Amino acid sequence: MNIQFSGVSKVFEPDIAALVDISLRVEQGEFVYVIGQTGSGKSTLLRLITRELLPSRGVVAVGGYDLMRMRKADIPYYRRDVGLVAQDFKLIPTLTVYENIAFVMEAMSVPKRLVSERAKDVINQVGLWRRRSMRPAQLSGGEQQRVAIARALANSPSLFIADEPTGNLDFHTAAEIMKILFAINAAGVTVVMSTHNQGIVNASRQRVIELDSGRLVRDEKGGLYSE
Amino acid sequence: MTTLRYVLRDTWRLIVHHWVLGLLTLITAGVMLWILGVTTLLSLNLENLLSRLESELAVQAYLVKDNTLDVEAIARKIQSLEYVYSIKTFSPADSLAKLQQKMGSQSRALEMLGDNPIPWNFEIHVNSAQDVEPLVDALKAMPEVDDVVYAGLVVKRISALSRISSRAALVMFILAVIITALVVYNTIHISLYSRREEIGIMYLVGATRAYIATPFVLEGTLLAMFGAVIAGAGIIGAYFPGIELIRENLPLLTNIIITDRAVIWRFCGLLAGFGATLGWVCSYLVVARFINSITRPE
Repeated sequence: MNIQFSGVSKVFEPDIAALVDISLRVEQGEFVYVIGQTGSGKSTLLRLITRELLPSRGVVAVGGYDLMRMRKADIPYYRRDVGLVAQDFKLIPTLTVYENIAFVMEAMSVPKRLVSERAKDVINQVGLWRRRSMRPAQLSGGEQQRVAIARALANSPSLFIADEPTGNLDFHTAAEIMKILFAINAAGVTVVMSTHNQGIVNASRQRVIELDSGRLVRDEKGGLYSE
Repeated sequence: MTTLRYVLRDTWRLIVHHWVLGLLTLITAGVMLWILGVTTLLSLNLENLLSRLESELAVQAYLVKDNTLDVEAIARKIQSLEYVYSIKTFSPADSLAKLQQKMGSQSRALEMLGDNPIPWNFEIHVNSAQDVEPLVDALKAMPEVDDVVYAGLVVKRISALSRISSRAALVMFILAVIITALVVYNTIHISLYSRREEIGIMYLVGATRAYIATPFVLEGTLLAMFGAVIAGAGIIGAYFPGIELIRENLPLLTNIIITDRAVIWRFCGLLAGFGATLGWVCSYLVVARFINSITRPE
């Protein structure tokens, strides 16, 4: 799934410009890091892609669809094709690991047997099968992050959005998470990931989009964290 | 089918998760719908009694003594008045015979009057007590009518009672509906509020609004419906022994009050349906509003 930003600005009330005139294109199957300081607009950019936010100006198109013009009824169907890993994990605290992953498929009316098979697959993929009956509060930060990844993978999305998935994780756990994300990308899924982690960006040399005070200051293929 | 199974499971989870609140809603809805049911039944019984009394209310219209009058034409003219339910014509001879029969052994006193003093007259029955006054006015305005006799005070009292009972029943009905609706609305709102984060997450990962909303709507519908079922059970539990009590102590009233068990069962079925509909409408309104507000993009 490709992503196209054309002259996109986002202004929050009363007058806070989170993004200013962003134009960029991400092709299907690319792996893109979005970097920048805190408050530079990284999360805003990702939330525009998931349509949690609407642009104040410009057009955000994903897979050829203008998200601004998308009908309300089509939004859930669009989001089923977008795997999202949020900075705060966004797991449901009352559900177990298994249930957190199963419910995204249940919402699509997938039969129970298939839900069970697919959930087992993705939980194994992130190495949490033994933790499947635990609730999020009983897991470490890294484990919760992996549950969020498993949930995002459950519907086999074409686009994977990860907002600082390695933030607050130790080096070893962060490396494990990155291994999973590269595997997802290797399967042809477009991955857009925001990060502060210099080591990760420099180690993998992927496309780097740098934001500063809401402006796009660098878009470099095979880039490093700092020029 | 799969979706239905998931939705029913989520509804059950919601009810179990908020069981204390659900129980309170159930009790409140039950009590309010019981009051509503009892008020409606009382009102129906009172209405029954009043219509029985009204059907017995008669206005007697006496014509002027004039042999040239076309009595049948006058009867047709009165029959065409909108308040008239039925009309019976009595000749002077019929009326005298009736009077003599009524007076029994004292009927000989009538012989002292000489010629029959009673003119042609009509016994007119109305549709409702409220129709008596306008009918009397209309009759008095007719030149062929000499005198009009009716139970004025009784009519006024029945008419007033009928109006008061209808209004009281309406007020009770509205109050019970508003209170039940508010309780269901608040319960579902609290249920939604406590799960607002979860709802946001569900919407973000691709659940449709209908999928998110249905368990909450079902929760409200079920709570109000079971409240109505409890109310219905309470009504049946109180009404049937009540009838037996009346039958033993006031047998005359058993002809007036509703004693048919099938009618009461049907009434309770209607009450359950009404409760479910009320619950559905309230839950739907609050859920639609809430989900709209939290899924709207900034």
